[in-house]
Amino acid sequence: MNPITLFNATIFSFITFLCCSLGLLSLLVSVVWVVLVYLLFCSRLLSVGAAPICTNAQAGCHALSLANLFDRVIQHSARMHGISNDLHSEFYFLPSKNQIGRVSRNCHTSNIFTPNGKENAQRMAREELTEVILKLLVAWRDPLWHFQQSIAHHHDFNNFSTNKALEMSDMVHELRKGVEKVAEKMQMMGIISNSVSSLASPEVLMPSDSAEWRLMKDYDLLYCFRRDSNKVQNYLKILKCRIVPEHGC
Amino acid sequence: MSVSSSSSSSSSSTSNLLLLLLVSSLDWLSTRGSALAMDHMTSSAPVGPHFTECVSREQETFRCWWSPGGFHNLSSPGALRVFYLKKDSPTSEWKECPEYSHLKRECFFDVNHTSVWVPYCMQLRGQNNVTYLDEDYCFTVENIVRPDPPVSLNWTLLNISPSGLSYDVMVTWEPPPSADVGAGWMRIEYEIQYTERNTSNWEALEMQPHTQQTIYGLQIGKEYEVHIRCRMQAFVKFGEFSDSVFIQVTEIPSQDSNVPFKLALIFGVLGILILILLIGISQQPRLMMILLPPVPAPKIKGIDPELLKKGKLDELNFILSGGGMGGLSTYAPDFYQDEPWVEFIEVDAEDADAAEKEENQGSDTQRLLDLPQPVSHHMNIGCANAVSFPDDDSGRASCYDPDLHDQDTLMLMATLLPGQPEAGEDSFDVVESAPVIERSERPLMQTQTGGPQTWVNTDFYAQVSNVMPSGGVVLSPGQQLRLQESTSATEDEAQKKGKGSEDSEVKAQKELQFQLLVVDPEGSGYTTESNARQISTPPSTPMPGSGYQTIHPQPVETKPAATAENNQSPYILPDSPQSQFFAPVADYTVVQEVDSQHSLLLNPPPRQSPPPCLPHHPAKALPAMPVGYVTPDLLGNLSP
Repeated sequence: MNPITLFNATIFSFITFLCCSLGLLSLLVSVVWVVLVYLLFCSRLLSVGAAPICTNAQAGCHALSLANLFDRVIQHSARMHGISNDLHSEFYFLPSKNQIGRVSRNCHTSNIFTPNGKENAQRMAREELTEVILKLLVAWRDPLWHFQQSIAHHHDFNNFSTNKALEMSDMVHELRKGVEKVAEKMQMMGIISNSVSSLASPEVLMPSDSAEWRLMKDYDLLYCFRRDSNKVQNYLKILKCRIVPEHGC
Repeated sequence: MSVSSSSSSSSSSTSNLLLLLLVSSLDWLSTRGSALAMDHMTSSAPVGPHFTECVSREQETFRCWWSPGGFHNLSSPGALRVFYLKKDSPTSEWKECPEYSHLKRECFFDVNHTSVWVPYCMQLRGQNNVTYLDEDYCFTVENIVRPDPPVSLNWTLLNISPSGLSYDVMVTWEPPPSADVGAGWMRIEYEIQYTERNTSNWEALEMQPHTQQTIYGLQIGKEYEVHIRCRMQAFVKFGEFSDSVFIQVTEIPSQDSNVPFKLALIFGVLGILILILLIGISQQPRLMMILLPPVPAPKIKGIDPELLKKGKLDELNFILSGGGMGGLSTYAPDFYQDEPWVEFIEVDAEDADAAEKEENQGSDTQRLLDLPQPVSHHMNIGCANAVSFPDDDSGRASCYDPDLHDQDTLMLMATLLPGQPEAGEDSFDVVESAPVIERSERPLMQTQTGGPQTWVNTDFYAQVSNVMPSGGVVLSPGQQLRLQESTSATEDEAQKKGKGSEDSEVKAQKELQFQLLVVDPEGSGYTTESNARQISTPPSTPMPGSGYQTIHPQPVETKPAATAENNQSPYILPDSPQSQFFAPVADYTVVQEVDSQHSLLLNPPPRQSPPPCLPHHPAKALPAMPVGYVTPDLLGNLSP
């Protein structure tokens, strides 16, 4: 064999050996680095993924979140009703039972068809019930705002009452949004059909004689709102116990 | 006139004003008071027929009760009729009660006739359509709801306070069955009230919608009464109270905390007892060794431990000196067979075989003079030989006296070797400051015979005839020593070695043996080193000067050979005493006292019967030692 070639071969083999070893080393290092980077990012991803945002497309966390939403909305409505009750009771000197007879006119929401009993409410379709709730909430947005404005300018009432009135009007707004979200979720989940029209345009819900509420006195307004907030609370609870009864019914 | 007219007009106007004010106020008052009057009407004036109350239990039905009031003629059933108006449409009209219960004077509205959130107005009418009420009794159903009381009220004990005086209780119940809580139709909140039994001091807890609640801080021994009621959330009217339950917790002796402690204590004591029993019963040597390690006691290989006991020095000395069995050799019976843990300190420097009696002297001397040589030691070994004394303490006191100058000691020791009875010149030099020692005891030289005991080969005791100025000591032939009873006593005293020389001297007064001391040529005082070492050894070691068992005569003969080597030493050593008689001059006296110059005041020596024959020691014809105090200047007279 040619000694030169032999020498070359040995040199070559030695170099390849070196390269291989170095390469292996570098490969090892790179692998380790890649693994670390992967772990780092993956942990971040996992941490994010550990509490997955229940988007609409995701399945598996729908049921729990709907119940959660319902709970929040019901709590909200309960608080709203409580405030309206407080305001109503302290607004006048004697909340006598006979004041009811004095209601000169019906509430402006009287034309909204609402179930007047448990069985009626339970028999009503979910979509209808949801729609009723939304109608009620929409109907009270403006009157409450004006009411709050009016008592803010009247110096007869203390700050406590005016704050409560303001909170009440805000609550109606928030509650309406919450119920809309619940309706959306239910539509997404297929619990109710897409026939709830109130979501599209709230003006549809407004009765034609929308200015009727302006003629109402403050007391009547409070009385009517107290009644309607109780209705909303009841309907929401019935709806929840019908759809997601597992949590606290 | 005009004035009067004006005044009259003004007065009339003011009066008109006043009248107006009065009327308006009255009107206002009337409007305000009318409602009040309404309430009072029932109680104050003779009351007409009226509704007492309308109540709904579950927000699905309701009842109304009326009363004829003061009109007793209307109390007959059917005299009064109930009419209601349901204002759910503008065209509603009055209807009569759907269901009467004349006995109870009740009008019941069932589910079909009940609408929530719709205003109802009630009327009482007589037979002739006469309405008896000024105003209608109006309400909405949700406002008249009074839920039934909760059911299944029960309580469980939660815990008792550590002091044992109060406890907490968990009360549970169930919502009223009539209220449809499951469908969400009614949301109820509950209120618990409790009081001590037979009192009416009810304490109400906070309202809450859950069906359980904890009552804190009830006292042990007292009986409590608890009842509950409920109402709709955000409404005002409460339902009836439930039936009461009674809670009482009597004194409970709290053993829970003590029981485990007591158990642990009992088990611990039992375990210890069992362990002790096991130890006592098993008596395994190994176990005993571990748990109760043996206290080291004098144990000499080859010697019956019985001899090592008190009062048996004679036999021991005999044995040690080689009598009977040829001394302590390897042939000696093994007395400690049953105690495997007994360890004898072996000689590490030389073999026992090598240490023959003939060579003992030389080896001893060699060892003495060559300082670093390890010295055989045994308990009988005089520590003076040891430069590097053994570290392990087998029960004897340490021999090392740091006060000593080792070198000097060794030198002196070398000179005191018996059996170097060289006939060398006796140069009696006077040691100036060194006190004269009348008797000298030779420190026990350790020689290595076949056994650990190496006393045997050497002549143990020699009398120092003279002390040379260079520090050498002239020895007289060895003497027979008598074992005395006091050896043990002195031995004990000598145990305290590092004491000053005075101590041992004082002690030496008591014993005849101890007399002596190595003279320190430096004049640093007495050193009882040799003494002490000897004393510390068990009585088997031949005490210097005392009546120890005689040394075996055999080693005596070997001495000359050894001493021959020591001719080089600066010391003049007397011949080994062939005879075992006391030197005519030397004898033992008792040191009376020690004066300030470290001189010994000695007692007159006792008479010795046989005159010593010292054929081998012509040079040793020592003059009779003066009795009493020997001063250095008298030493010159001593030289032969």
